[in-house]
Amino acid sequence: MSDEKQQLEAIRDSFEKEFDRFSDALKDGFRGMKLSAAEKLAKELGEFRVKHTGKKSPISGAMKLIGRVAPEQRADFGKTVQSVRARIEGRIAETEDSLKSYIRSAKTKREAVDVTLPGRRVRSGHLHPMTLLRHKIEDIFVSMGYAIEDDREIETDHYNFDALNIPVGHPARESKDTFYTTGGFALRSQTSTVQIRAMERRGAPIKIIAPGRVFRRDTPDQTHTPVFHQIEGLCVDTDITMAHLKGTVSEWLRRMYGEETKTRFRPGYFPFTEPSAEFDFSCFKCSGTGEFEEAKCGTCRGSGWIELGGCGMVHPNVLEGCGIDHKVYSGFAFGFGLERMAALMYSLDDIRLMFENDVRFLRQFY
Amino acid sequence: MLISYNWLNEMVPVGLGAYELAEKLTLIGLEIDGVHERDGDVIFDIEITSNRGDCLSHLGVAREVSAYFDKPYKLESQIEETPSITDRVSIEAPDLCYRFTSRIVRGVKVGPSPPWLVERLEAVGERPINNIADITNFVMHELGQPMHAFDLDSLNGRKIVVRRAAKGEKIATLDEEVRDLDPSILAICDTDKPVAIAGVMGGLESGVTESTADVLLEVACFDRDSIRKTSARLNLSTEASYRFERGVDIENLVKASNRAASLMSEIAGGDPQEFSDEFPSKRKAVSVETESLEREFRRLTGIELTDAEIEGYLKGLGFEIRGASSFEVPSWRHDVSIPEDLVEEVARIHGYDRIGEALPPSRSAGEYHHLEQRKRRLRTALVAAGFDEAMSYSFVDGAAASAYSTVDEMRGDETPLVLINDPIIEGANLMRPTLLTGMIEAVHKNFNHRESDLRLFEIGRTFRGLSESSLPEEKEMLAVVLTGRESFENTSAAGRAYDFFDLKAAVETAAEAIGIRGLEFAVATEPRHLQVGQSALVRFRETIVGAVGRLESTLADGYKFKQPVYVAELDLSFLLEEPESVAVYKPLDVYPSVVRDVSLVVTENISLSKILEVVSSAGFENFEKATYVDTYTGEGVEEGERSVTIRFEYRSPERTLTDKEVDQVHSEVLSSLESTFSARFR
Ligand SMILES: [Zn+2]
Repeated sequence: MSDEKQQLEAIRDSFEKEFDRFSDALKDGFRGMKLSAAEKLAKELGEFRVKHTGKKSPISGAMKLIGRVAPEQRADFGKTVQSVRARIEGRIAETEDSLKSYIRSAKTKREAVDVTLPGRRVRSGHLHPMTLLRHKIEDIFVSMGYAIEDDREIETDHYNFDALNIPVGHPARESKDTFYTTGGFALRSQTSTVQIRAMERRGAPIKIIAPGRVFRRDTPDQTHTPVFHQIEGLCVDTDITMAHLKGTVSEWLRRMYGEETKTRFRPGYFPFTEPSAEFDFSCFKCSGTGEFEEAKCGTCRGSGWIELGGCGMVHPNVLEGCGIDHKVYSGFAFGFGLERMAALMYSLDDIRLMFENDVRFLRQFY
Repeated sequence: MLISYNWLNEMVPVGLGAYELAEKLTLIGLEIDGVHERDGDVIFDIEITSNRGDCLSHLGVAREVSAYFDKPYKLESQIEETPSITDRVSIEAPDLCYRFTSRIVRGVKVGPSPPWLVERLEAVGERPINNIADITNFVMHELGQPMHAFDLDSLNGRKIVVRRAAKGEKIATLDEEVRDLDPSILAICDTDKPVAIAGVMGGLESGVTESTADVLLEVACFDRDSIRKTSARLNLSTEASYRFERGVDIENLVKASNRAASLMSEIAGGDPQEFSDEFPSKRKAVSVETESLEREFRRLTGIELTDAEIEGYLKGLGFEIRGASSFEVPSWRHDVSIPEDLVEEVARIHGYDRIGEALPPSRSAGEYHHLEQRKRRLRTALVAAGFDEAMSYSFVDGAAASAYSTVDEMRGDETPLVLINDPIIEGANLMRPTLLTGMIEAVHKNFNHRESDLRLFEIGRTFRGLSESSLPEEKEMLAVVLTGRESFENTSAAGRAYDFFDLKAAVETAAEAIGIRGLEFAVATEPRHLQVGQSALVRFRETIVGAVGRLESTLADGYKFKQPVYVAELDLSFLLEEPESVAVYKPLDVYPSVVRDVSLVVTENISLSKILEVVSSAGFENFEKATYVDTYTGEGVEEGERSVTIRFEYRSPERTLTDKEVDQVHSEVLSSLESTFSARFR
């Protein structure tokens, strides 16, 4: 019996001795060990496990000793063998687990990246601010039941002037303000021309928005370009009143600049509308107070209002010219310049930039 | 126009401070452009719309204030005098001069004006000259009626003839310019020569000077169009012509003359004497007839007013009510002729802010322009591909534009281009036939700012068809340009240098975004702006739709470009009218394909598309497709040759092909290539 016990103790001692190098490493928590060394150690530990717990291991051999012990001591001895085995397996497993998790965390550490480095993507392009603004406005009006129309940029005097009730002799008709082709056609000086063509084509009732380029003989400066963009709106139906005009323009501007936006209509003059009005909206920068950051608001020049465009009830001559009976139908029209609107929105002090295609400018908008 | 608050307040005191009054004026249609304080006064800079010539004076603004506040305005008392007919004035052009009054004021002492008069004039931005001239200016600002004082002794025959100038006549005007006159110009003349340009400016020789003793004061009314044309023709715009163009009050001439004469008497010690009033055909008052103005007003504003309220507003504005349905327009208003005009008058005094807000009835569903959704997809795709959207002027320098071939020219269409008169930008006399001029200008400008990696596109109209009988054709084009290197977000590291195939890719991306698949590219020498060898015509179903390639070197050198620039232009109008391609499902393959890669060496002039066409159209058994892998030149390939690697795929719908079967057909394919292109295999 003592023989067998001694043998068992020898097995345990030789395990402990050989295991020392692993347990030392474990005690230190593998501190500072390089990943490659840890992986090597793990491999050795694997081999060590086979050597000390495999079929050919001393402890497996010790199982055979149980039979040699006197029957009345067998049970006790068996337990002892089992506990030695369990201790060996346990210590190896414990170390293996720690080592595995050490390796895993070392690997994780090695794979860490600087998450503040830039994402890998080709530079994005940018839509032109005119396009961005046009899309936004078109979306609002389409949702309000309007159809978007588009038409010619070079027009006859009929569409550019006569049909808009702009009489012969009106200053706007002079070539001082309007570009003419050598063939005698006008570069349209307002998008109102689209109203006429659309009414001729669609008749009444009609609800349209017409965005487009217009041309005036202005020398380019900070607030003028000879080419610019306008958006024109037209609604003709039975029983349309100025209240509908006000309601529509106000609703659009609220959707554009927020629920609190107020609008103001002042009498104005346009040959193609009667009554006519100009419309202003409460400054989005200073919320109509005229003051921004304790100084006079630069966007509205301190007035609290921003002038945006012209509008009015479609002149009976315009309706009749398009074959629409002005006794049956009435309608409103409004128009405004996109460059001016964009200049206000982006605090842009020189609208010539819109046509210069300087990428330092273009790349600011999205 | 400048209006003095103090002056206005004397005419119509309404008990409002200057700034509150300014706000009210804006709300009734007299837009205040600016307000500034000046020596105890406040000056309004009012923007008067071109239809409201009647408001170009303190009286005019006072009338508006009076109507709005329902308070009367008053004018300074003045001498009243019965006109005495003389034969001093004759109107030979009654179609251009409707009324002419003259008054002789004798024994004036010409000298500086008293301080109150100087102050009034300076307040409205006028420079004092002498008491006589100042009085005429003062009365113009007070009553809105321009007038002119002549030195009676300087008038030949001491008479006035109002006539068209004769061809060749000249006059030296007060601004010391000698001006050529012609029969389109109405002149105020003495018995032998013009002494003033009617309604625009007086003559230098007949003007009042310190030695003037007797003055002939002209207060007249001229044809608006005639004055406007004269002013434009002589490029001479004056306070007088500005008012005459917009219309003065023909019934106010005598009053204005009396007022000026009183002042000349008071200030310059003159004695007002003979007065004449030539008024060849009396004015016919304008009346607006309407069945029910109340109904008309409600129809256009949605507001219900009583007839009495409406009449009250109109009376306040000087309208005469002639029965229930006729409204006589005051003589000073030239902008009211239809019931809608009356509606505006009532509405603006009642207040636009009292009109309600409502949305119109909705009978229609909203709709985008039928091409808009495709264009939005196009823009989105190009932006995602890194292109910035450009926008250029529609007119370009004709000489610069001639360096580019338009898509129409590539189609053999030589329709003349559209020119404009009097360009505002020097040289820009051509409505652009191509977007490329603008794009290359943009590249040039950006290079100057040291931005050398560019991807730009523009969608815009081009024009052609110069004719007096029909409107030019307008066509929407897409232009794409790229140059420099690939660039990335948030890093300065530059990528690969762009080449022809980046441009081609962009064009294909753009086309696919609008549902156009299967663009064909063919070697081209036609586009003169593209470098031969890197130039391709783009076709869609046999139609030429554009060209892509590298900017030709003399053109590039002209701009001093030091790096290659690639440009493309496509006929977007054409492509957007083509139906979008629609996906068709094809059952998934059941049996695997067998793949063979082959590198064949051919002479450089054999294009990939020719090779693919030959193998694809031969109808080899179980041949599925051939696709490009890569191109190689260098060791093992002679100069003038290149090696093209192509992947051939064979598949049967019925079974898995054996290598043996494939080898057999593949060798047929190869020998076909060998014989067609004298190809050898690597
Ligand atoms: Zn503001």
